[in-house]
Amino acid sequence: MRKAHRTNSAIRRFIMTIIFLVLTVTFVSACGQQTTGGNGKLKITATTGMITDVVQQVGGEYVEATGLMGAGIDPHLYKASQGDVKKLDDADVIFYNGLHLEGKMAEMFEALEQRKPTVAVSSYLKEDQLHAAQDQSLGGHDPHIWFNVKLWMSATEVIRDTLVEKDPEHADYYKENAAAYIKELEQLDNYAREQIALIPEKARILVTAHDAFGYFGEAYGLTVTGLQGMNTMSEYGSKDVSKLRDYLVENKIKAVFIESSVPKKSIESVIEGARQLGHEVKIGGELYSDAMGDAGTEEGTYIGMVKHNVDTIVAALK
Amino acid sequence: MSDFWILLTGALVASCCGVLGVFLVLRKMAMIGDAISHSVMPGIVVAFLLSGSRDSLLMMFAALICGLLTTFLIQMFQQSGIQADASIGVVFTALFAIGVVLVSLYARQVHLDQDAILYGEIAYVHWNIWEVGGINMGPKAVWLLGFTLLVILTVIGLFYKQFKLCAFDPALAAAIGIPVAVFHYLLMGLVSMATVSSFESVGAILVVGLLIIPASTAYLLTDQLGVMIGLSIAVGIASTFLGYGAAVLLDASIAGCMVCAASLLFVAAFLFSPSHGIVIKKLRLRQLAR
Repeated sequence: MRKAHRTNSAIRRFIMTIIFLVLTVTFVSACGQQTTGGNGKLKITATTGMITDVVQQVGGEYVEATGLMGAGIDPHLYKASQGDVKKLDDADVIFYNGLHLEGKMAEMFEALEQRKPTVAVSSYLKEDQLHAAQDQSLGGHDPHIWFNVKLWMSATEVIRDTLVEKDPEHADYYKENAAAYIKELEQLDNYAREQIALIPEKARILVTAHDAFGYFGEAYGLTVTGLQGMNTMSEYGSKDVSKLRDYLVENKIKAVFIESSVPKKSIESVIEGARQLGHEVKIGGELYSDAMGDAGTEEGTYIGMVKHNVDTIVAALK
Repeated sequence: MSDFWILLTGALVASCCGVLGVFLVLRKMAMIGDAISHSVMPGIVVAFLLSGSRDSLLMMFAALICGLLTTFLIQMFQQSGIQADASIGVVFTALFAIGVVLVSLYARQVHLDQDAILYGEIAYVHWNIWEVGGINMGPKAVWLLGFTLLVILTVIGLFYKQFKLCAFDPALAAAIGIPVAVFHYLLMGLVSMATVSSFESVGAILVVGLLIIPASTAYLLTDQLGVMIGLSIAVGIASTFLGYGAAVLLDASIAGCMVCAASLLFVAAFLFSPSHGIVIKKLRLRQLAR
């Protein structure tokens, strides 16, 4: 009886300690949450770094753009932190890629649409501009639209029009910025085309770990072969590895490429396989696919990232 | 407002899992939550292939059927003499593998796995609002989990004595005429319902964690079933609050922090529990030696 009493009071003490802890943490975190006061700027939150970059280019000094996915983050594997929830809650406008790049999160954006403007930057693209996922019967499109610079101009237009609509006071400013940026993108588009044309026609084959480069290949005249399939999660079969190996040997491909957000193990096994068949393949370099480089570096901007990819491919295949 | 809804959702998940977790821990079947989180895969794939849509209600229904099948098979194998942990392992790996094969056969180019289709994320619950005739009724997840909790409490409450006896001494329960198998299947049914609806709302790691850890913590603190259930719920809810606070301070994953908080509470109980804690036991031994 006395023992039971002692046990109960100990349990009570345990619970009291927990309650005390809970209250402390709740209090501390409530204090830590004061958001910075409004400075009249339009608050924009974007999912990928590529979109954030365009928002900054077009919005300039009148918007405060924050991105959710930093350098090297694979959008398919992205998990929101508590701070990200706040960023989304506080945003006046949310931009996302769409076409299932953000997975389940995009569903949330669609649901959120009624209370907060959430805009897919792919929304201006028409059916015939999009690549279907390889299996047509299941629908769904390839979401990696930023690798065709022309399509990314359309995304810039989406962002421009949204900003103009939400903040008509600075409409001219946004339109000017967007026009200047689209001009830069046109130059980038031409640059990519010219550079890729330097590669001998037979060698214009791009082999990467996951086929994010469908639009890129189509726009600039490269045949694209990937190992892994559309998303970074799906397992690749041994047949894929041997098929790709035979393809490398057959077409005498000089180099294959690894990606910033995909582990390079899968592509290395293919290289090893080709070596055993007496065909030497080298790794042509690292391409940015689903995420950009670190902020502050040249590859940390959309234009720098595309340039890096083009230069890397040309240098290795030329 | 987001804080309130996230905490309420967390508390509801903690309550659902807390009650059922106690029975699972007592029956040495705690890993069943993890098993269901994998074995829903073939259900999702088949539902997707047949319907071509990613509609979440349909996916949940498919997952529920798979969850029930999982628990049914586990229960069946276990009753025919296979160890509980082995039967859990056999069933969920087999079902998951079927799902992987189906994806590689029919849906290679589609982003299809339970992460993309079924699992929710507690960070987003307050955006997924249920609207009736244009009126904001609050997050869908809260309604879904509230309903689940109600069902669990009703069923457990009505048959508390039977569940209790079946958990501790199935042989005795059978001897006095309780249909033990029926109650085992009933419990398993509740588990798969609770896990699937929680997966849809808050994601897998949180559910699996809250199903096992608070119940195990409570197990260290008491020997009475009623108290254990109460403590399990309390520890679970405390974990969600502590975890959320930590997530705010660290700007980290909310579900991750909640499960970490639950583990910390478990460690605290493991060390300092008045009956089982190793520190307390050492102290008591030293006192006796004196």
